[in-house]
Amino acid sequence: MVQPLDLFAAASAEGAWTVSEVTKRAKSVVEAGLPPLWVRGEITGFKAWRSGHWYFSLRDKSSQIRCVMFAKQNFRLPAPTDGSQVFVFARPSMYEEKGEFQLTVMELLSTEQGGLWKLAFEKAKAALTKDGLLDPARKRRLPLFPNRIAVVTSPDGAVLRDIQAVVARRWPVAELIVVPAQVQGVKAEASVCSALNRIRRLPVDVLIVARGGGSVEDLWAFNTERVARAVAAMPMPVISAIGHETDVTLCDLVADLRAPTPSAAAEAATPDRKDVMLQCGAIEQRLAKALKTASRHVVERLDRAGDRLTRCMEHRLEKSGALLTAHSARLDALSPLKVLGRGYAVVRDENGTILKRVAQLPSGKEIRLRVTDGEVHGRIQ
Amino acid sequence: MAEFSKQLERLEAIVRKLESEDLDLDEALKLFEEGVERLRVAREQLAQAELKVKKVLEIESPS
Repeated sequence: MVQPLDLFAAASAEGAWTVSEVTKRAKSVVEAGLPPLWVRGEITGFKAWRSGHWYFSLRDKSSQIRCVMFAKQNFRLPAPTDGSQVFVFARPSMYEEKGEFQLTVMELLSTEQGGLWKLAFEKAKAALTKDGLLDPARKRRLPLFPNRIAVVTSPDGAVLRDIQAVVARRWPVAELIVVPAQVQGVKAEASVCSALNRIRRLPVDVLIVARGGGSVEDLWAFNTERVARAVAAMPMPVISAIGHETDVTLCDLVADLRAPTPSAAAEAATPDRKDVMLQCGAIEQRLAKALKTASRHVVERLDRAGDRLTRCMEHRLEKSGALLTAHSARLDALSPLKVLGRGYAVVRDENGTILKRVAQLPSGKEIRLRVTDGEVHGRIQ
Repeated sequence: MAEFSKQLERLEAIVRKLESEDLDLDEALKLFEEGVERLRVAREQLAQAELKVKKVLEIESPS
């Protein structure tokens, strides 16, 4: 299987190898002679291509090796940064087009605490924090009586069954809108984002984003900045239930509420109809009582109006009586008899004409004097 | 069917109005009747046994 290099084949210019022959031969020698192995070193010159493949070098104090990690191997991983100390499990090989020795990396572990996952998580979290997306003041209140509840989750899992069962039991008044998404694997991030995007335009009162437990890789889509930002931008309140209670994802952090399980998320999204029935009973009682009170108020108002009318009339009568007394007192005061009583006398002639002036009273004029208790006759001298 | 939350909001408003204001008997009766009718509809909604589930198919992710 392994053919030793035929060193004599190129001993003269006539027998020269082509470049391709050499690199091809070298590749087979390297691949046959060096089995896949773990290598440790520092990452330098890291570059992620649009294709998703990663190119970088591993180095130590004196040497470096070119490395490639293809998209299908790295899709679950957050990208490392230059200077990271890593372990790689890699297949030594030759990149024939450039005649370069290289490692085809199949696994990559950070040697730093918590590994690359932790680093990427913290980086994304810092970016979200900077934009205020983790601010507790952003958390919206959940609707009390949701009409439409949307769910983004895997279409055929226990998660959807659990949520559906809880909503059917507690709040069948609502409509459950299920938007399936791939929740793990290379397409999960885009799939979840596209599901969220569909829901943005629907008249939905509350959204549940849920996924069952899994490894940190399985949950990774929900730790990406892209999914977290999409969740934060939803126009309706979002409940997040990703993984087990101990896993806290970025999706959980930006959501308006984090639920420990999908069932708990469904409970948080719904009122219990038994409670609402009781509430209806209470409203009914209040209605009946309020009507009774309202009719009693009407009767009381009628009574009050009657009372006021009576009081009004009484008052008026009283006032009229008083007026009458006053008038008669005045009349009395003005009565001529009263004036005569105070010592005045009225002077009249024999015809009864009242004589008020000196000219009417010449000497010898017959007069009659009316005083308080009678009349006397006399003559002016 | 009216949204349940709107139904309940209106019911609350009716009860509050009945409780707090001096109303004509006519007006009070009208409010009471509306309240009773809304309660009946709300209870019907609550008694509904079947949850409606709608699946929205995923569109191809635009990758």
